[in-house]
Amino acid sequence: MKILTTVFQFGILYLFYFIGSYIQNYFHLAIPGSIIGLLLLFICLCLKIVPVKLIENGATFLLSILVLLFVPTTVGIMNYPSLLSIHGVLLVAAILLSTGISIAIAGTAIQFFEKKGQKRTEVQECNKLSSRSA
Amino acid sequence: MQQALFAFCMILLTVLAYFAMTKLYKRYSYSFLLPVLTATVLIIVTLVILNIPYKDYMMGGQWITSLLGPGVVALAYPLYKQRHYLMKYSFTIAGGVLIATISGMFSVGLLSKILGINDTLTLSIIPKSLTSPVAMEVAEGLGGNASIATVCVTLAGIFGALAAPAIFKMMRVHSPIGRGIALGSASHAIGTSKAAEYSELTFSMSSVAMALCAIIGTFIGPIVAGLLRF
Repeated sequence: MKILTTVFQFGILYLFYFIGSYIQNYFHLAIPGSIIGLLLLFICLCLKIVPVKLIENGATFLLSILVLLFVPTTVGIMNYPSLLSIHGVLLVAAILLSTGISIAIAGTAIQFFEKKGQKRTEVQECNKLSSRSA
Repeated sequence: MQQALFAFCMILLTVLAYFAMTKLYKRYSYSFLLPVLTATVLIIVTLVILNIPYKDYMMGGQWITSLLGPGVVALAYPLYKQRHYLMKYSFTIAGGVLIATISGMFSVGLLSKILGINDTLTLSIIPKSLTSPVAMEVAEGLGGNASIATVCVTLAGIFGALAAPAIFKMMRVHSPIGRGIALGSASHAIGTSKAAEYSELTFSMSSVAMALCAIIGTFIGPIVAGLLRF
């Protein structure tokens, strides 16, 4: 029974994916169908058009094996043995360095914003309290 | 019939390799044992030994890849569960993703120019931090090569997931929001699955970042390419 519900919920996720892909093709968008489907499903969940129960099991299962879904694509690297040449090594080096840099910059910047935001709300609350007591 | 059996064997190989490597990773949890990396290596070695070309492997592999679409759609579920955080931190998230996207694209473009990599290749690696279907489109739009873009996206994904714990430690990034957005916007879905190891909040922040990055990236890619003057 549980397998049947999961398969049925897969069907719903597929439906959103197809709708997303259709929208992408119809309007010739650069954003892929899966991302459009994600946004649509999110909106439908928030507006309670689709109850959470209807996708809960299927989504949890798919997300638990999300990495597996990438493996066939990553195996495709075997078609590019030229990555081991000098140009390839430089290319890989640029990608690795840049990925590291952007993780470091983004992580630090966001943590900074977040702390600043928290401080601001704290100050506002303090002001409220002090004005009240005054 | 024989073809169907072969395709089935390839699916079985992928699934077995993945679950075996996941078990290994859970047991020892060294970051270099990341399942996506070890399973990929294991499968490539098997294919090379058995002399099976990638095209044949994909007869089975494409069935697994076809689940990727609904898999990305399923990310709406953790987003929905964390929607209150999304509303509360909407400015932080939007600003963070914007910074991450620009820094990722600009740094890779600049680095490859400094290293003397040719223009077509450089244009193909600029969208490396976007999720692969978007990266392919952006790379082609810029005048690069879609399949090289996919390889670069894969490398950025795996490396980001591998290096992130060390980078977070070095830069003292402890906030789940900061970690999630950094992972999602630099390493798309592979980073997002790494983010799931931290917490549910990190996971959903990473999913939001990945989706936003894909949307923002389609606009910023051409600007970055223009700034680096190709």
